[in-house]
Amino acid sequence: MVRTERSDRWLECTTRFIPAHYQPASLIDLALGRGVNAHRLLQGTGLFHEDILTGNRLISPQQFLRMIENLQQQLQADDTSFLLGQQWLPGHYGAASHALSHAADLQDALERLVRLQPLLWPLLRLRLRVDERYIWLDWGDSFGADDQSIFLVEASMAAVTGMSQWLSGQRLPWTFHLAHAQPRHIEQYWVHLGEELRFASPLNQMCLPRSCLHHLWASASVTAGQVAEQEGLKMLMALPATCSLLDGLHDHLVAQVRQPLRLEGVAETFGMSPATLKRKLQKHGTGFQQQLDHARARVAMELYQSRGYSSDEVADYLNFNDRANFRRSLRRWTGLLPSELGNWLARY
Amino acid sequence: MTSMLAMHRFKLTGLLMTANTGLLLHLLAGEIKPVADWDWLDIAGEGGSALLLLTWLGLLLKSRPAGYVTNLLFMGLACLFFSLFMDTVDEFVALPDAVTWDGWLESGPMPIGFILMTLGIFHWHQEQLAINEQMRNRERVFREHRQFDKLTPLGDANYLRAQLQLTLADAAAQQQPVSLIMLDMNAFSRVNREYGYAEGDRLLQVLTQLMLLNLRTHDLLCRLAGDRFVIILPHTGERQAQILAEELEQAVRSLAYKSRAQGERLELSASVVALMARDEDPATLLERMNITMARAKQNLTVRYG
Repeated sequence: MVRTERSDRWLECTTRFIPAHYQPASLIDLALGRGVNAHRLLQGTGLFHEDILTGNRLISPQQFLRMIENLQQQLQADDTSFLLGQQWLPGHYGAASHALSHAADLQDALERLVRLQPLLWPLLRLRLRVDERYIWLDWGDSFGADDQSIFLVEASMAAVTGMSQWLSGQRLPWTFHLAHAQPRHIEQYWVHLGEELRFASPLNQMCLPRSCLHHLWASASVTAGQVAEQEGLKMLMALPATCSLLDGLHDHLVAQVRQPLRLEGVAETFGMSPATLKRKLQKHGTGFQQQLDHARARVAMELYQSRGYSSDEVADYLNFNDRANFRRSLRRWTGLLPSELGNWLARY
Repeated sequence: MTSMLAMHRFKLTGLLMTANTGLLLHLLAGEIKPVADWDWLDIAGEGGSALLLLTWLGLLLKSRPAGYVTNLLFMGLACLFFSLFMDTVDEFVALPDAVTWDGWLESGPMPIGFILMTLGIFHWHQEQLAINEQMRNRERVFREHRQFDKLTPLGDANYLRAQLQLTLADAAAQQQPVSLIMLDMNAFSRVNREYGYAEGDRLLQVLTQLMLLNLRTHDLLCRLAGDRFVIILPHTGERQAQILAEELEQAVRSLAYKSRAQGERLELSASVVALMARDEDPATLLERMNITMARAKQNLTVRYG
């Protein structure tokens, strides 16, 4: 999607734009239901339970992430992320949730999820790619989730799996790629996601045969869904900005990936000084090189998976003249050497 | 936890007052020794033991509901504490030779305490047997509270793996078959979604009870994750396991569960598969079981879940 307002303002980890009675509220409900003390849960967030009950409090991604961190500490259960994820979509977030519930088919639902993402799934950016055979979903870290990233990825995958199952009325044959190593609590993945799991993958991705995209969903009301989407877009426009700084940077880096990219030039495009951009990235717990690596990893994976490129072709596309350098870089981006990645792809 | 202690407040007050009376008696009758006469080794030994006994008392009262066994154990420990406490006080206070009751205060409660403790521990053992009967089908051979799922409460996936390891080794040694049943509710996430987590949690607890009622003495029920349960059936072949699996499936289907808020009946069904263990490790066995479950779910007519 083209974002026209790019030079203006960005959502940052301190921007208060998440209604506390939306996604954070179901987290609080789950925690209180499982006997976590409300005070402990909100410790360090500067929030009080009473504030959230008023129904007009906006919180920042940083506060939300802190809440998740507290929950992880207070509730030592492996299924928390999955249970929350299942509850988070389509959710009860006004028009945006209606738009999702009344999607005509999976493609419709996923596209709406991408368009209305800051309202529906504020912490991670969902990216959708459809090629000739498969649809691919992956997630970008919008605000520097850091230690909570595995929790959020588990929750996101459970959310999309749960939502597609709920609206289509059947289990869809998703395949799950997870960047982390196989955890001890693999049974949670079996029960809440499915059997097709691949750990230690280059990216966090979900994949589904394209044929599943257009099965019509019985419960959908197409007109109501379209109206709700329009309303949702208006809600989106009412936010301080519609895209996070990290997501905006990622899009820019992906679009310019074949050009030489340096912090100075990119900062200029974003209308800020290199020092400011650097400081803002630091605030999100990341740096320019890390973001650049991530963008390149994503482009490389798209070329491998959707266009069937060989390693040489990918290296050429990304303007690597030196093969050894490309091997090292790919290793840094994805954790795998070209040959290992080739095996990984072939095992499909 | 504080409420557990509150239940015992009369006992604690009684002990405190008795100890205090002993102290006062000593102070009234005798005089405080000069510091040079203090025997530090005795003070550390006797005082330290008294303090430890007080800690035991606290832990005992904190972890046990009131009752016959608790009273016995409490009285026993209280006597031991009192006797050691008097010993300690004796180190600080010199009594005139005419006083003879101090020997009684120091040595009298000790044997009584030991007798009461012995009685208490014997009855505790009886009580534990009764509790074990309640824990039947939930645990075997070893207890590991950190591996117990707080909700149901059943052993979790880690407990299951450890138990499988044991059972498979036993079975291989005795050349006996072991079978497993896996039960997964159909459309369970719908309950969480439509009725909330609290209802989902309650349903899981009810299902646990239901399954426990349908098991044999040596079967072990564990909660793998979410709404998926695994039952270990020692000395059981595949055919027998199939029969048990079908019985469980029927039990779930005929359970007339009512929601807490509206009292409406929830139509429940479960997918149940049974397998016999081959020569394999727990992880492989669980994985094989899981794939069998996935196939069973694919063939469902109500495929949501």
